[in-house]
Amino acid sequence: MTKQPFRLHVKASTILKWIIAIIALIIALFPIWWVFSIVFSDPGTPVSVNPRLYPSSLSAGFQNIAKAVTENNYQFLRAYLNTTFYTIFTILGVLILCSMAAYEFALFDFPGKKILFSLALFAMMIPTVVTLVPTYLLVAGLGWINTLQGLVVPGIASAFGLFMLTQFFQDIPKEIMDAAIIDGASHFGVYRYVVMPLSTNALVTLAIITFINTWGNFAWPLVIATNETTFTVSQMINRYNGQFTRASINMIMTVNLLAAILPLLFFIIFQSKIIKGISMSGLKG
Amino acid sequence: MNNWVRKYLRHFLMLTPFFIFFSIFLLYPIFKGFYISFFRWDAVHPAVFVGLDNYISVANSSYFGIAIFNLLKYVSITVPVGILLSFLVALLVDSFEGIPSGFFRSTYFVPTMIPLFLAASVWRWIYTPEIGIINIVLGWLHIPPVNWLTDPKVMILSLVIVDNWRSIGFNMVILLAGLKNIPGEYYDAAEVDGANKFQEVIYITIPQLRPVLFFTIAYGFISALQVFDAPWLMTASQYSTYGGHLKGLLFPVMDMMGRAFGNLQFGQASAYGFMLMLIILVVTGILFRVQRRLGGA
Repeated sequence: MTKQPFRLHVKASTILKWIIAIIALIIALFPIWWVFSIVFSDPGTPVSVNPRLYPSSLSAGFQNIAKAVTENNYQFLRAYLNTTFYTIFTILGVLILCSMAAYEFALFDFPGKKILFSLALFAMMIPTVVTLVPTYLLVAGLGWINTLQGLVVPGIASAFGLFMLTQFFQDIPKEIMDAAIIDGASHFGVYRYVVMPLSTNALVTLAIITFINTWGNFAWPLVIATNETTFTVSQMINRYNGQFTRASINMIMTVNLLAAILPLLFFIIFQSKIIKGISMSGLKG
Repeated sequence: MNNWVRKYLRHFLMLTPFFIFFSIFLLYPIFKGFYISFFRWDAVHPAVFVGLDNYISVANSSYFGIAIFNLLKYVSITVPVGILLSFLVALLVDSFEGIPSGFFRSTYFVPTMIPLFLAASVWRWIYTPEIGIINIVLGWLHIPPVNWLTDPKVMILSLVIVDNWRSIGFNMVILLAGLKNIPGEYYDAAEVDGANKFQEVIYITIPQLRPVLFFTIAYGFISALQVFDAPWLMTASQYSTYGGHLKGLLFPVMDMMGRAFGNLQFGQASAYGFMLMLIILVVTGILFRVQRRLGGA
């Protein structure tokens, strides 16, 4: 056996690997590229004639965006703000409630600990489809339909968040906490000034997962935010795709693009944290 | 008693906020839902106890049969295909080193950042007959156009594509983390023994990756069984009419939502939810049993 054919074989497989990787890349990114290209092209020629494989007009794109944002008295902009508030308050609520409870479950013993923890485990096993209708009825009974609290409050006691943080908090060294207690820190002080700062990574991970789930939540806003002034982005997208929509493909793609921009920017900024967070959630879960 | 309070009060104070919201907005709805599943109730008139009638009339309805049939078809395609593709993509990314590895990992993850409802809204237009890019490209290749959104034979496949376009990146990242945890010595030993790449994957990678694979499979099943956002948007569904042409994309959660918010049959909708939960519990139960048996071997 000479070395030559072996080396050729390696090279052929490397080339094949690159070809497959690039095809996969095109499949992953093309739909987003196509949206972008439609928005940034002159609406003149129909898409069936010119399928918009690349953007051709910057000014047409900005006109589309300006039209989508201002249409119906800035309805899309309002929806964007609604979703932003919905997401921010949900993240805050989840982080505060779950971290306080996880602090106790991970680091202390108290009567009833097992029962409370299994109760949370039980709730996590119940699929969301079971709670959707009764939670809606409860929120309706409270008069919270078409309110921010109706969107946010039912989602903040996240059993998943409790479990995730409990697992992370268990790794916090007891000696550091003891040292803080000797220095006179209160029970809440240890949580606030020792456990929380030491757990930034876990908290960021939970915040990222909550962001993705809340920004992407479709079913809950669909039943809660039914009034045009309280519409979320998901509701707007649903409206634009509705059976009786008069919107053109340019307008629909423009709202799609605007709805995608924030998550994509978020990914560009927090890329490594997001990927690390998702992979940790898989390994720990 | 005083002592006991002094000792434990601080713990319960920290737990109180979580458990107040947890009990009101999670525990209570679960039991309330179970309770109203035995009543005929439109949230306006007084509820009427009907025993198991809601469960029976849901199970006997034609929509339920179609929805379950579509669901089985969809789940049995999308989960295996999704896991297989995610695994292959993870192996592909793992075979690169340095900058290309990180680059491909990031770009393959991008679709996961797009919310599912948005992915459905984009793909709906990619699929649209005249102006959708897929049929235009098929036309260039002289292949007759496919009715991705209206041909009942293809509709589920269209959904599977959207679903996996978005979820492969998520599963890939989890599987990649699992791959990185496999000690390199295992592969070195296999190479010494003369194993080829394929044998390495079968005898080292898959067994070592099993816990992580199990997580992605279980997660895939649980979310696929509750599929809602994408088919709802792809068929331009409303509470009054949903499921698309010939009910080709009718799924249980859509039917449940239609009964609740279209017909105000909250009892039936709750019964629907619990029947679906039973299916999910059976599927995950089987998965856990398989996992434990394999783990013991």
